[in-house]
Amino acid sequence: MLRSNLCTPADHHLSRRQWFGTAAGAAFTVAAPSFAQTVKKKHKQVLFVWLDGGMSQLESWDPKPNTQFGGPFRTIQTSVPGIHVSELCPKSAKVMHHLALVRSLCTQDNSHSAGVERIQRGDPKNRGVTYPFFGGAVSKLLGNGDSGLPPYIWIKPMSGGFIPKDGGFLGPKYGALALGDGKPPENLLRPATMSVAEDLERNDLRNLVDKRYAERRSKENIEATKYVFDMAAQLQKRRDLFEAPFAPKDQERYGTHDLGRHMLLARRMLEAGVTFVKVNSYGWDTHGDNFNGQGSLVPQFDQAFAAMIEDLHERGMLDNVLVIAMSEFGRTPRINGHIGRDHWPEAWSLVTAGTGIQKGVVVGKTNDKGTFVASEEHDIGHMFHTWFKALGIDPKATEYDNEGQPLPIAHDGCKAVKELLL
Amino acid sequence: MARFFSLVFLVLLASFSFAESVPTAIDRLIVAKVNGAKVSKPAEDDEFLRRAYLDFAGTIPSVEQARAFFTDKSPDKRAKLIDQLLASPAYPKRMADLFHVMLMERLGDFPEWSTYLKTCFEKNTHWDAMARDILRASSTDAKGASFFLSKRLENYGQNPVDYSALTRDIGRLFLGKNLQCAECHDHLFIKDYKQQDFKGIHAFVQNTYLVDAKTAAVAEKPTTTKLDYMSVFKKVPKQTGPSLPGGKEFEPPPLKKGEEYIVKPDPKTKIPGQLKFSPLAILAEELPKKDNTDFALNGGNRIWFLLMGRGIVHPLDLHHKENPASHPELLALLAKEFATHDFDIKWLFKEIALSQAYQRSSEFPSGETKVAPESFRTAIEKRLSAEQLLAAMQQAMGVKADAAVLTKVNKAFANAPREPEDEVNPSLKAALFLLNDPAVLAWHVPKGGNLVERLGKLTDDKIAEELYLSVLTRLPATDERGLIEGYLKKNVGEREKAIGRLAWSLLASAEFGVNH
Repeated sequence: MLRSNLCTPADHHLSRRQWFGTAAGAAFTVAAPSFAQTVKKKHKQVLFVWLDGGMSQLESWDPKPNTQFGGPFRTIQTSVPGIHVSELCPKSAKVMHHLALVRSLCTQDNSHSAGVERIQRGDPKNRGVTYPFFGGAVSKLLGNGDSGLPPYIWIKPMSGGFIPKDGGFLGPKYGALALGDGKPPENLLRPATMSVAEDLERNDLRNLVDKRYAERRSKENIEATKYVFDMAAQLQKRRDLFEAPFAPKDQERYGTHDLGRHMLLARRMLEAGVTFVKVNSYGWDTHGDNFNGQGSLVPQFDQAFAAMIEDLHERGMLDNVLVIAMSEFGRTPRINGHIGRDHWPEAWSLVTAGTGIQKGVVVGKTNDKGTFVASEEHDIGHMFHTWFKALGIDPKATEYDNEGQPLPIAHDGCKAVKELLL
Repeated sequence: MARFFSLVFLVLLASFSFAESVPTAIDRLIVAKVNGAKVSKPAEDDEFLRRAYLDFAGTIPSVEQARAFFTDKSPDKRAKLIDQLLASPAYPKRMADLFHVMLMERLGDFPEWSTYLKTCFEKNTHWDAMARDILRASSTDAKGASFFLSKRLENYGQNPVDYSALTRDIGRLFLGKNLQCAECHDHLFIKDYKQQDFKGIHAFVQNTYLVDAKTAAVAEKPTTTKLDYMSVFKKVPKQTGPSLPGGKEFEPPPLKKGEEYIVKPDPKTKIPGQLKFSPLAILAEELPKKDNTDFALNGGNRIWFLLMGRGIVHPLDLHHKENPASHPELLALLAKEFATHDFDIKWLFKEIALSQAYQRSSEFPSGETKVAPESFRTAIEKRLSAEQLLAAMQQAMGVKADAAVLTKVNKAFANAPREPEDEVNPSLKAALFLLNDPAVLAWHVPKGGNLVERLGKLTDDKIAEELYLSVLTRLPATDERGLIEGYLKKNVGEREKAIGRLAWSLLASAEFGVNH
């Protein structure tokens, strides 16, 4: 078989593969079979917080007080001597000893439409296929553990549903199940008019019909059917995930704003064993009135994020959950005529923590004015390498397998950021 | 007298050896490659009836239609049924849905486009004429046909118009060649796919643009120079005029500014004007010609796929030497006959449907647990589109669904845009729709003469037959009758609900959910 790093001949074919990746459809399994077993020993999970529109690094992780572009906010000390963050992040500052900051991001896109996708796909080299978002990739690579729940849940404001797009060429199975405003999508739960017994009974009948039908026919269709109905039943059993109230104390700690509520729900999903949980927050694109905008958003994030870190730590979950919070780019140091900051992919920051990640470190630095990276620059491809490694997946050795055509899981021109890894 | 008979015999012999019918040739060529393996037994009347109805009418037959077919003893009843379905008013509607999904891949809907497709199948417009209309994208003739281009010329957000995707789709859908990976260089693995092939098609559409999404109006800017390109590897500048893969290059005449038009465009009325050199007009004329083998092979292969569930070349859009046809002679025959009959889709449908291959059971030959689909030894389970499913569900349950339910069914069963719907693909969202959607659950409550109400009025021993005929278009087997009667006896206190659950178990079954 020919081998190349560029296009694949059946790229379109990939995207619509029968999504049961086993048996005859084994075309798109992960190349290294042993590795799935290795990881299975302790199911790794990911919390991915997406601050859509662009968090300002200057008002969060990389403040430059008393400089030309520094803005009005001061810095504060953190729990790690020598590391300072914006005064808008007091709670995160207290858990800094669990966190790693990256201040040396330098990425390619300064438009939202290109940036959101490129960043979440890890900006792989163009191979003529649409790469999965990080959530789709991790779902594919780590599977859904033993929870029986969908591997990729996305908690976001506004509408929800099944979002096949995030699966990219891996197919819709690796797309997201989105909980719009934290609520389950239409039809996820059995209506109150039907009892548990009735539901079980009708499904028993259905299984009988299916079993009989499949006796002399191909098993793939029946297996895929069984898989989706089983998952539906599992979600049904876990109605509590969507319906049980949260403790008032937790609601207070996380905040009653969208991000706080959604982060608290994300904690519950991680506790239930969901492999990849994405939490979205919108409205970070502060071209005007940046200091009031970020000034109100950053503390909301800070409250919910720090509460999550505390809880994951308390539950011993930081050992197997990888935490990431980021945007598609940072914001311009230069303050524009509307007292805003624009898009700035040249030098920005993110925070990461949890399994495989160093605690209480800062990687990279920007120059005095915060305009450019003054250390080694890190593109999103470096971060994907780092995160895959942190999850126990070797990004150099692991490939997607397209009927013999290997596709790297991360940009093969990049490598992991060693300083971030344990 | 004896001489007369021997003459007839000779004529018959000649016609068999020299003018073998297409269905016979199909079966000969398929059986020639089974290498001694068995083929599945012929489909029983029930399976054949359901299959033909779903394929040509887009729904399942009513109980009366099924009973009438089963009791009909005439030997040519299957051929008669095919004729009847191809002539029925359900046929154009079904084909409009089918070709819409194939050509638009859920990118969007446009009423005039649907009307255009439906009219084509009412008038039995041939595939070459349809291709001409669609690629010509005229704002005045064949209204609605321009939607294929216009939708692909829309841009989303800050993203530019995706001309590469348009180029790729023309190659895929009309020529059976996905040239996507030959955009920046000759294809790395597929020797037949050259960058020139991609750029040649690209040169036909590079100057097209969307005039108005509301009317699907498309126009062209003048093309006066060749398209420049170079391989990202070789960096040698090249040029091409519009050309089809392996075909003639059409050189744009170097017209001066202001001289490009026969009739200038009118910006006020948005009438696009008439170019002296219109690449779209050339594309529409040249691509569907009989001597364009790509067009004929792709057409034959796709029509075969629509009835048989798998292309002779598969995937459908990877015709090239290293992905050979499973049955090369058969594909050549289909392409040749399709072209000879001026790309008459209905004619080819009928020929394929008359073959034993089409009329085989979807159950494996006895003793086998796996049959390679490309052998066509066993009928392949075909995916039901959202449109087919909704029509079949309404027929089965004796209910009428409104537009809101149609939207829900589409959401639950259709693929995402640009995902071809060419495989059976159970999904969680579809399962959840069947399990919990209020509209589906309402169908299982006796009301207004629906199936569950009808069944409720029957005695227990009659229910199984009516239920199976209504939903699965077949009679229940003895064990199934026993199961149903036993279940009803057990649930005598809540008979209505029990009937509802039984009906649901068939409606949500894999057997109902595919065209087997």
